[in-house]
Amino acid sequence: MQPIALIALIIGIPSALLLAYVFIRGTTGLRRYILTRIGLTIPMIFILGSLVFFIMRVLPGDPVSSALGPKGTPAMIENIRQQLGLNDPLIVQYGRFLGNMVTLRFGNSLVGGHRPIIDEMSERFPATLELIIPASILALLIGVFGGALSASKRKKAPDFMLRIYAVVIYSLPIFWFGLVLQLVFGVYLHWLPISGRIDPVIGTTLKTFTNIYSIDALLSGNWPALGSVLVHLILPTATLGLIQSGLFMRMTRINVIETMQEDFIRAARARGIRERVLTYGHALKNAMIPVITLIGLQVAILLAGAVLTETVFSWPGMGSYLVERISARDYNAVQSVITVFAMLVALISLAVDVIYSLVDPRVRY
Amino acid sequence: MGRHWYGVDWWFVVVSSVAVIGFMIVAIFPGLFAPYSPDALVGPRFLAPGQIQIASVLIVPQGSNIQQLKDLAMPESVGRAHIAVVQGQPTAGDVNAQAQSIDQQLQAGTSGLRLRPIIDRYASVQEAMQAVIDGTDDVAVIQSTDWTAIQSQYPTLVETGSITGEKIAGPFALGTNDIGQDLLSRLLWGTRIALIIGFSSALISLFVGVPLGLFAGFVGGTFDRLLSLLMDSLYAFPGLILAIAITAVLGPSILNIIVAISVLYIPTYYRIVRGQTLSVKEEVYIEAARSIGSKRSEILRRYVFPNVIPSVAIIFSVNVADAILTGAGLSFLGLGLPPTIADWGIDLARGQRFIQTAWWMITFPGLAILAVVLAFTLMGEGLTEIFNPKLRDR
Repeated sequence: MQPIALIALIIGIPSALLLAYVFIRGTTGLRRYILTRIGLTIPMIFILGSLVFFIMRVLPGDPVSSALGPKGTPAMIENIRQQLGLNDPLIVQYGRFLGNMVTLRFGNSLVGGHRPIIDEMSERFPATLELIIPASILALLIGVFGGALSASKRKKAPDFMLRIYAVVIYSLPIFWFGLVLQLVFGVYLHWLPISGRIDPVIGTTLKTFTNIYSIDALLSGNWPALGSVLVHLILPTATLGLIQSGLFMRMTRINVIETMQEDFIRAARARGIRERVLTYGHALKNAMIPVITLIGLQVAILLAGAVLTETVFSWPGMGSYLVERISARDYNAVQSVITVFAMLVALISLAVDVIYSLVDPRVRY
Repeated sequence: MGRHWYGVDWWFVVVSSVAVIGFMIVAIFPGLFAPYSPDALVGPRFLAPGQIQIASVLIVPQGSNIQQLKDLAMPESVGRAHIAVVQGQPTAGDVNAQAQSIDQQLQAGTSGLRLRPIIDRYASVQEAMQAVIDGTDDVAVIQSTDWTAIQSQYPTLVETGSITGEKIAGPFALGTNDIGQDLLSRLLWGTRIALIIGFSSALISLFVGVPLGLFAGFVGGTFDRLLSLLMDSLYAFPGLILAIAITAVLGPSILNIIVAISVLYIPTYYRIVRGQTLSVKEEVYIEAARSIGSKRSEILRRYVFPNVIPSVAIIFSVNVADAILTGAGLSFLGLGLPPTIADWGIDLARGQRFIQTAWWMITFPGLAILAVVLAFTLMGEGLTEIFNPKLRDR
């Protein structure tokens, strides 16, 4: 079985079960909300797909002649254009593009061994997952607790320092942050490796099932490989996670401050509940709700950050794949990667909204 | 708002405004501040910050009439000059090569002078210097970096420059890059590109996004719903990746990068302005204006528009920061800008290749981006805290 299909199953089955559970046990309002939300995702994917199509086909520039370079003869160019169906009317191409998007048929790469793009992605996509999931967890942990601390000490020194942290981390160019970490921990201290996912020698001993190396190493009980994978993960995860944490911290801080001014907090305070319990118990729980929405919106920033992080750390994920194929002018691969990103964004924001509606009973459309 | 006047947030705004004005002055007149042209090859490759080029320099006793190597030429009957060098340094080879070429010129001429120096090798720079002071040797030739290190100990000796007659490059405040350009000059000129990209794309998004948001919020209906769907999709999409796609198709140029980035930020203005318009629309004073027969365009202009200005100002400052970051990210990836332009992202991409040897090529362009982006973000942060009524103390 292809790794990508395996991952789809691992993510897909629990989500489907969750959805089914919500559907059966939920109220009518909740059911209607989820249906509407799913209904909205379809046009969103459609719009994003059309955008990709528009950018790749309608803007000036001929992908085929630039892919072949100066050695491409008119006959060769014509041949490839015919193969890709670029000579058909635009509307036919558009229809075919949307069809392929739904069925995930991306065709073959234009360069190198002309491998099917779906195969290349099934190697690359797990690497990206392995990077962005721990990075998001790191960002959430730092952001939520830092934000709550900042709000509880509002206008005192810790608040001021955490706000400066949030602003500075938000202003850091992520690729530069990665380079500085490489410089300090890789080049000067020699503590951590600065590129790749696994030590190449140990890598040969690792059997891959999902291509998420840490999971593969765990499943096969290959402890040296697991160690190597984790060590390689530290710098990229820190880069992506810390950069993301600033926005979460800011959002949590503002929301906790707003919630602390609500009547129920005043009532709780009047009952003599300690300030610490008020902040971290009562207020934080309520302030988390908008933060969950932010996760959905952060996906975009997360993926953009992943492209740069992967490039800096030579991490063989989707982002570095995109950048490699742009310079190789592999237009088929570029279009496919962007399409996959678009679908990913749409699906994650759907998932976040559904979770949101479960967490916050006030959300009913 | 008066209570906040002495608060941290006003300081954020004041400090960042001063910084922004400073950056703008540098961006408008980079030539005034930059010591060199950003493209000029002004020194050796990979010269570390504050260091000078390693060259062979001539050291003579103070008051000596010898200023260059060829001043040591004398008739063969008088004898040969003595030159002190340090063992194991390339200086001896430099002296030989230079002396030979001078000697050939002299032989071709009619002066009867020759330059065939005797080279005395010493174990250390100090011994070579002592030999010149004692008069054992006429002059010494040592490396320029050695001379700067020991200069203060030998007040009776002077340096007369490189033996080849070329100017010794350096010191450069921030060092040179892999082809010998001055990093400081490149950074100062890079301010211009960064601010052009930041301001133009933020302005374009503002001029498209704000009217669309006002109109959609005010008119409502199908138009609003369709436009919002489009904008939400665009907003959800990873901006950098969209910009990558656009610049990859359009090819590298400043105009294309500005177009690509401004598309990304239209939804930000649209969403905020539309939301505010929707809430303002329900206010009593709008109803009052409508009941006395104001035209819709007038209501929009006189009552709705002024209410959305503060949030537009906040978005604008954050937006400029984001646009500069995105622009730098694009050029770091090798997209968007022609590689010859002095740009921080391009300089960083260059530095990455030499991360093992030249730390300064990575450190300083990044700090430049951080400084400019920080100024705009800090301004946005301060303005948010000041203008957001929800955060005001009750």
